[in-house]
Parts: sequence; structure tokens; C-alpha cells
Amino acid sequence: MQPDTSAIPVQPCKNCGTQAPVDVHFCPRCDRILTLGRHGDYFTFFGLHRRLQVEPRDLEQRFRALSRQFHPDYFHNSSGTERLASLERSSYLNDAFRTLRDPVARLEYLLKLEGFAPKEARAASSQVPAGLLEEVFELNEELEAIQDLKAEGAPADQVAARLDGARIPIEENLATHERQLAALMVTHDARFNEGDAAGRHATLEAMRTLLLERTYLTNLLATVRREMSGGEAARS
Amino acid sequence: MSKVVGIDLGTTNSLVAFASVGTPQVIADESGDRLLPSIVSIDAAQTIYVGREAQRRLLTDAVRTVYSVKRFMGRGIEDVTDEARWFPFKVSGETGGVVHVHLGERELTPPEISAFILRELKRRAESWFMKEGDFDPEVAAAVITVPAYFNDAQRTATRDAGRLAGLEVLRIINEPTAACLAYGLDKRHEGTIAVYDLGGGTFDISILKVEDGVFQVLSTNGDTHLGGDDIDRVLVEIIAHDLGLDPAAHADAIQAVRKAVIQAKWDLSEFDQADIDLPVVPGLPMSYRKHITRAEFEALIAPIVARTLEPCRRALEDAGLTASQVDAVVLVGGSTRIPMVRREVATLFGRPPYTDLNPDEVVAIGAAVQADILVSGRREMLLLDVTPLSLGIETMGGIVSKIILRNSTVPASGSEMFTSFVDSQTAVDIHILQGEREMAADNRSLGRFKLRGIPPMPAGLPRIQVRFQIDANGILSVSAHELRTGIEQAIEVKPSYGLTDEEVERMLLESFEHAREDVEGRMLIEARNEAETVLAGTDKALRRPDFGEIAAAKLTPDEVARVRAAAAALREAMGTADRAAIQDGTAALNHATKHLAEVMMNWTVQAALAGRSADDVAAKGR
Repeated sequence: MQPDTSAIPVQPCKNCGTQAPVDVHFCPRCDRILTLGRHGDYFTFFGLHRRLQVEPRDLEQRFRALSRQFHPDYFHNSSGTERLASLERSSYLNDAFRTLRDPVARLEYLLKLEGFAPKEARAASSQVPAGLLEEVFELNEELEAIQDLKAEGAPADQVAARLDGARIPIEENLATHERQLAALMVTHDARFNEGDAAGRHATLEAMRTLLLERTYLTNLLATVRREMSGGEAARS
Repeated sequence: MSKVVGIDLGTTNSLVAFASVGTPQVIADESGDRLLPSIVSIDAAQTIYVGREAQRRLLTDAVRTVYSVKRFMGRGIEDVTDEARWFPFKVSGETGGVVHVHLGERELTPPEISAFILRELKRRAESWFMKEGDFDPEVAAAVITVPAYFNDAQRTATRDAGRLAGLEVLRIINEPTAACLAYGLDKRHEGTIAVYDLGGGTFDISILKVEDGVFQVLSTNGDTHLGGDDIDRVLVEIIAHDLGLDPAAHADAIQAVRKAVIQAKWDLSEFDQADIDLPVVPGLPMSYRKHITRAEFEALIAPIVARTLEPCRRALEDAGLTASQVDAVVLVGGSTRIPMVRREVATLFGRPPYTDLNPDEVVAIGAAVQADILVSGRREMLLLDVTPLSLGIETMGGIVSKIILRNSTVPASGSEMFTSFVDSQTAVDIHILQGEREMAADNRSLGRFKLRGIPPMPAGLPRIQVRFQIDANGILSVSAHELRTGIEQAIEVKPSYGLTDEEVERMLLESFEHAREDVEGRMLIEARNEAETVLAGTDKALRRPDFGEIAAAKLTPDEVARVRAAAAALREAMGTADRAAIQDGTAALNHATKHLAEVMMNWTVQAALAGRSADDVAAKGR
């Protein structure tokens, strides 16, 4: 997707001045840890391709191996520059691992990287996604009805049953989204391996939509669950 | 090369340990004592006592003696007013500022008091290295442990204490993680490990994954105000009420009660009943004895033990694990000797906990191992710890915007963009908070930062990136620059519950003025320490619930009388400053109890062989 730059971006090693590629961690000449400058991304940092299926075991092993290379514990006797480089590289490694080990965070990160992130993330999450309009409308009506029921002093188990009725379809819908996302991740990686940029693009687009809906559904579910636990408290 | 030691700066006791070539050991003082009571006392002549001598002074000069100062580290007066009532010393401070402890004429901050303890440990280690014939016995640096759930202010206060004691603090590590490192030395403990650490004043639970020598903390939780002190206070309050004691008026007497209560607490870990036995001491209206069974004791402390379980569940949830997925549970901290604590932990995790290593020493040993890693650069082992609390900043409407989430592996970083609200604004105020609550007011304020030197621009145009960096110690630093101009911003830090660098420098100078070595005084103290050790051993034997039975079977009345007389004589000598008399008395008591000690040992062995009192034997076997 990105134009192939023939020249690899480099940065000077602060110790020996060698022009080192930005995506290596240690200077090829003097072997000192390199300052974290402009470089690729979390995937490159871990030596991974931009694929969505990541073997947890493999990622963890890479994380541990890199930790053993960068950790500030091992730079205690080094120069100030190297200590700072070790701190920055370790922080970046930890942030990257936190993002890549979680499938959803990983997907969100890749979408952002590929320019698919919604511009106004906050506004987008408060807007009802088009695919969910009908469902949300029905749910709101049902929640209102349940509120009325409660206000009229209906028995608690009756209220709970109604809330359960509202909860189950959301959970099912959420499960469907998870399945679809998982399938699209497989497709994405296949397109990536085939070098099919357009096909990859299309799956990313589809995943962005699903992800937005998923976020919205998760929030809805939280609302219903809050109602339910509120009911519990009122009962006791 | 000067030495780097590991220090467990505990609420009740502190220890120093050293590891070279992978074999760590706790360093004992001249009388063989490995624990240093975390108690500091200053007499009217301004002499400073640390450890057991200070502990003795609790009974005679309580108002000039401070213990459990760790509970005050990095905290404000508003946090401690409730419990301060039960302490003999006075505390003061402004809301949102550092607590001051009053010891006679002097007012000291908790880091200064902790520094006395650290300095004593430094001295202890140096004299040990000297005795070992080391060419460079100087201890210039240390790894110091803190509760995992300590916040930024509490960690910073600990680091300040180290500086004040003349120690370079190479690293602050978390106590449960240190313990896990000590357990991990023998490689048997791999997999998912839960470390339950209930000490004198703090409680931590950490869940770790140990694999290929990497000790990765998955989650941590706890309560920095929950421990053995709280258990003691429950009993002290009951007895103070029985006796009509007011902590403000009867400081010494309250300490006598506290001492007796602690003894009974220890006894109840071994036997199913004990006596809380108060001698007649000045300030006590009468002598007092209260019989207490283990069941009664457990009923009293159940709410305290229960408070440790919720953090355990939360830690498991944050680690994404169920209790049954934990491969091993490790117990740390003196309060885990209480059978009820062991039982509750076993129930929660569905397996008996490991107690192979001494729960008082395991943290110091882990700290020494970490010190060795830092100095040697050896890479077989690596600790990856987490920050216990989320870090955020206050935004519009008093809401917290989280920047680094709790249980993030450290070092960790985060950044946030700021801009100006009015034209040509050159400074922005930032309020930094730690905690999980939504509203700023419900979280811990770490400090207020002022960003200055913003280039004058129309409102909303500056793009100031503020970078938050939590280092491997769990301590925060902040930097900022304006992206359009690239100008680095000056940041003024006003720590909420901490000392400024200038204050630490000033205290450092003052501490040199007060420092003086009193050789004869120290030798007297050592003699008293030794006397106390022998007395404690004798008392323990005499206090056994089955002592009457043993004495009838194996001892003559004459012998028992001789032991009691020697103990009484030594106790009297200890009240004087006559070192020779104390040493003679110690030797005499040692001689008088030689046969008694053998009898006790044989009796216990016989009981074990006969399967009698299995509970008692099991408790000792740990």
C-alpha cells in the first residue's frame, strides 16, 4: 500500500555516529542500544508483519526476549544516553505488547495505522451506527417500559425477567459481531499474504464498521446490566 | 567496590540482606538478631535510638518514640487522624501536606524517621562486611522494597528516606515481587504464582507469571493501611476500655498493653489459647490478665482478614484468571503466621499456600537478589513489574482522564495534548492524579504542575505535548514541549504529599549536624539486646499452657525458682546502665536455663512423635 522506499530510513547512533536503520534496536557497528527515534510501528518493533492473527505464545516470547535486551536493569552501569534509550525502548515495548496482545486493541491500532480510524472518535461512539438503528430504538422503548413497570411497583422478578429479555438479543448480536470480526481477520491476513492491497482495504473497511457497532453494543449491554444490578439492590 | 544491599523497610521490622554470586543472606546484628524493629526514639539529651532499645523506650518514654512510621509515608494529616489517636507520639501537618511527627523538641517528617532506620541497617551491614574481612565494607547504595500498592507519593517518600540515610537508591521494588524472586531462586516455582503479603501495616496481593527466569507481574492490588497493627488495635481498644485507659493520657500504659497483646497474638498462632498478661507498670491502674481462646481471637479479627479477600478477587480478575488457574500461592509477611489467615487464603485459592521460606525474611532476600542483578548485569533473571494504580489528569468538570492504566508493565509512558484557553496564554496548570475513580476529588492528588514558557499564540493554537513517564521504580516524571515551535517547557513540580528537592537537601545537612557516634552507649544497647533475647526465650517456656505439666514431670521446684530468680535479677539489671551487671545477669540466666531448655526441646519432640498436639507441631514445622 505504501510506496516502497528504496532507501531505508536511518538515524545516527549517538555513541559512534554510524547511520543505523531506524527499525533496529542496537547499533550495527558498536552494539550500543539506540535512541528511540522515528521508526515504524508496533508490528515492526516486534519483527512482525501487519497481520491480525498473532500467536499469543510467539508474541509473549518475543516480548520476553526484547525485555531481556532493553530493560533498564541491565543498563544500570551504562552512560546516561544509553540509560535513557533503555527506558524509552522498554516503555515503548510495554505499550506495544499491551496493544498487540489484545485482539481488539490490535485491530484498532492497525486501523489507525492504515488510516481507517474515525476522525472524531468520541463523536462517532456517541452516534448510533446505521446498522443498529432499529435495534437501539426497540431497546430504548423496552427500557422505558421497564422503568414504568418499576415505577408502578411491579414485582422484582417480573422486572428482572423483562430485563433479561432485553439483554439476551444484545448479547447474541454481540456474539455475531465477534464471529464476523474473527472471520474478517482471517480474510485480511490471507489478502495480506497474497499481496492483494485492494482486498485488504475492503476487509479493513468492513471491520471498522463492525468495530464501531461492537463498541456501541458493549455500551448498551453495560446499560442493561446496570439496570439489572440496580434492581438487585432495590430488592435486598 | 562498595556494596549494594537489599533492604526491606518494614512497618514493624526492617532487614538488610546481601547477595554475592547468587547466594543471598540476611545480615544479623552483633547479637545475632536479623530483624531490626522499625522504631526510633529520641531522648531529652537528643540521643537517637533505633531498634530494640527504642522498642524498650516505648514502655518508659512512649511520647518520644515512634513506630509504624511507614503508615505515614507519603500521606497527609487528613489520612491518619483517626489512627493517630492510638499512637503515643503527636502528629501535625497541613491538609494536603507532609505529616510531621513530634518527638520531644524535634519535629520530623516520616522520610527523616525512616532514614534513621536505614542508617542503622547501613551501619549493621558495614560492620558485618568489616568483620568478614572485606576490603571495601562501605555500603553506598541499596535496593529498597515497598508495598506493591504504594502510590507515587509513598514511593517517592521512600526514595527520599534513602537519600537522607546517605544511600543511593538504585531501585525500588515491590515486596511481593521481591518475595517471588526469592522463591524463584530454586526454579521449582514456575507458572502462575499468587503472592499474598500481609505485613504489619500493609496488605498486597500480586499475581505473577514466572517463566524462563522472567518474573512478570500480571496484576496487583492491596490496601496500604491494613495489617497486623490493625489486629493489635482491636485488642488494645478492648483492654483500654476495660481498664479505663485514655491513649492521650496513658501513653506508656497503652504501650504496655500493646506489647502484651502482641505476645498473645503470637502465642495464639501456636496454641489454641493464651493469656494477655499485663505486669504492674507505672501508669497502669492495676495488674490485669485476660484469657483468650483462638476462637475468640478469630471472631475479633475476622473482619480484618475478610478485607484482604476482595483485593485478591480483583487482582485475579485483572489478570484474567480464576483462582483455580493459579499454580501456587506464596505467603509473605509476619501476619500470615496467623492460622486463620492461612485457612482463608487456602479456601480462596483452593490449595494450601507455600510457607517454606521465612515470611519475615523473604522480601529482604529478594531485594538482595535484585541488587545483585543490577550490579552484575547478569541476565538470567528479570523482574517485570506493574504500576498498581491508574494515572490521570484532571480535565474540565473535575473528571479524570486516564493516561496510564493500572497494571501496565513499567516502565510505561503516555502523553496528552494541551492547548491554551485564552489568547497569548503562556502557562497551563495541570493536576495529576492516581486512582481508579472517575472524579478527580476521589483520587489521590500527586501534584500540580505548571507548564510555563508557552509561546504567545491565539487561543487553541499551541499544541503542547505532555509526556508522562513511569520508570521501573513506579515513580512518575513529566516532560513537555510545544510541537509547533519545538520549545521544551519548564515544569515546576509541587508534590502534594512529598518533599521538594530543596527540603531534602536541607534535611540532609541537618542530619549531619545531629549525627554523633556513642561507642559506649552502643555497647550498652547490645548488652541489653542480648539480655532481652535470653529473657524472651525463658518467658516463652514459662508461659506455655502445658508448663505446669512439664515442670511436674521433669523439673524440681527448686530449679524453677532459680530460673525465675535469675530472670528477675536480669530484668532489674536491664533497667540500669551497668553494662557489666547486664552481661553477668545474662550469663547467669543462660546457665540457669540450660537444663530447662533441653527439657522443653525433648518434650516437644516427644509430643511430635506421639502425634499429640499435632496442630502445635505443625505450626512449628513451618
